[in-house]
Amino acid sequence: MIYKMTDKDMEILFERISKDFQSFGSKEENGDIVFGDIQRFSDISEEKSSYPPKDFLIERSENILSIPRAEKRAVFGVKSCDLRGFYIMDKQILGKDPFYTVKRENTMFINFVCEKMCSGGFCTSFGGPVLDEYDVQVLHKNGYFYVEASDKYEKYLFGFSESDDQNVFEEHKKEFESLYGRLNVDGIENRMKWSSNLWNKFANYCISCGACNYSCPTCYCVDVYDDDDGRKKEWDSCILEGFTRTAAGNVRPELSERLRQRFYHKFKYYKLSRGAYLCTGCNRCVDDCPVDIDIKEVITHDYDRE
Amino acid sequence: METADTYTIVLTERNMGYAGQFYMVSKEGIGEAPISVGSGYGNPLMFSIKAVGSVTKGIMNDPYGEIGIRGPYGNVWPWKSYEHVVAIAGGIGIPPIKALIEDMQGHTSLDKLTVLYGARSPSDIVYRSEIETWKEEMDFRITVDKGDENWRGHVGVVTTLVPEIKEYNHGAAFVIGPPVMMKFSVKSLLDAGFAEDNIYLSLERRMECGIGVCGHCNIGRWYACEDGPIFKYSDTKEEPELFL
Repeated sequence: MIYKMTDKDMEILFERISKDFQSFGSKEENGDIVFGDIQRFSDISEEKSSYPPKDFLIERSENILSIPRAEKRAVFGVKSCDLRGFYIMDKQILGKDPFYTVKRENTMFINFVCEKMCSGGFCTSFGGPVLDEYDVQVLHKNGYFYVEASDKYEKYLFGFSESDDQNVFEEHKKEFESLYGRLNVDGIENRMKWSSNLWNKFANYCISCGACNYSCPTCYCVDVYDDDDGRKKEWDSCILEGFTRTAAGNVRPELSERLRQRFYHKFKYYKLSRGAYLCTGCNRCVDDCPVDIDIKEVITHDYDRE
Repeated sequence: METADTYTIVLTERNMGYAGQFYMVSKEGIGEAPISVGSGYGNPLMFSIKAVGSVTKGIMNDPYGEIGIRGPYGNVWPWKSYEHVVAIAGGIGIPPIKALIEDMQGHTSLDKLTVLYGARSPSDIVYRSEIETWKEEMDFRITVDKGDENWRGHVGVVTTLVPEIKEYNHGAAFVIGPPVMMKFSVKSLLDAGFAEDNIYLSLERRMECGIGVCGHCNIGRWYACEDGPIFKYSDTKEEPELFL
């Protein structure tokens, strides 16, 4: 059921949810859009956050000798591309990583469907901003908020006005796709070439900073290590030389090999093992890359002409 | 100590895993490392470890200190599906073969097992006393890359023994050892007439979690920890990163 809600209705919804959950939201802080505590619905920024909300479920660094804690949290203002990232990661790590799993099950995401494509974004190539799976999904259009919830959270919407137009999300999706088009992603797993010169080209200017991994809403790899303070899992980057180093040798000593791995994991391996591409078209890896490596080039590159 | 750099630890806990599986063994403050179990199911947990990295050296340097264990993880040698098995172990690849012997003992005749074990030199041979017993119980062949003045046995890399066991090419081959040794073992096995889908490789990768979460140990679409560590050669042969 889709509900048509006013600013005031949204404040009521926010109050209802905040009774059961600790509420967080995207908000402007010193010119950046970041996630933090919010007191009312109107605090929420509808701009894309500078970083994805990945650390709500996978902390940058976390002590894993502790017991995973279940805290009921609601995160408002998540962009659809970022929420899709969690659904994609679920396929590999939900039920396996106890820390991710406990947080995933106790966190409610209220995602905002973008009204316009963000600069550089290409989410239409991976399904677009209207999600099929969500907790509470919000579309702000023509002065109203159109809201739908999964069965689990439908109860928070009881009593609000049902929308006369029950196809508003579907129509928005179509409109979005026709306006912005999509890249030819289908079959990329078969088109990419192991020996492509693209990997060497990227390696010529990549500086191995790992920003692409950290800014990605689907990169789930973590480093597990000990320090004086216990055993940690911490965001890792497949671009770093030590990622696969073992006592027996390193399977990817060259930067070009590690870049290829990143794109093969995203567009081939995960598709084969989990049935999805590890990309949501958010463009953050492009925005954050200091040397302008563009993941879209991996999709559009003409491998046959090499 | 088994050799100058390889040691065995035996715990009071029983092994709840089967041959081919591994445990994450840790030393607090240093880290964790995946170690193949060296004993059969139900026997006291046993690991034979070569001190090559920080964790394996850290455990060796503190022989009475505490260690952490979690597991078992990974899949098992599929010996039950075959009439005969040739196990080829190189270097510190021998503990999972010891576990295989112990798992097979009591369930089947050891006549269906042939072991080829290659060590770098006589002083690198692990399980010296067990090997004397195994030689009487089964077809256990040993070779060293380089002998010494007292060595009367076979000299040459372990693949040089493969043509001798050609008669078993209808069965399975389980291969575990350093990457180069595995690569050439596969070649020798194929030359000897073994079928690609009867050759199994136990692959080593950087594993940090052991449960398919950390993302370090992929071999193409698979994670060595949750889909392996044992892979059929016929499934994985197209992977460019199969061997290091």
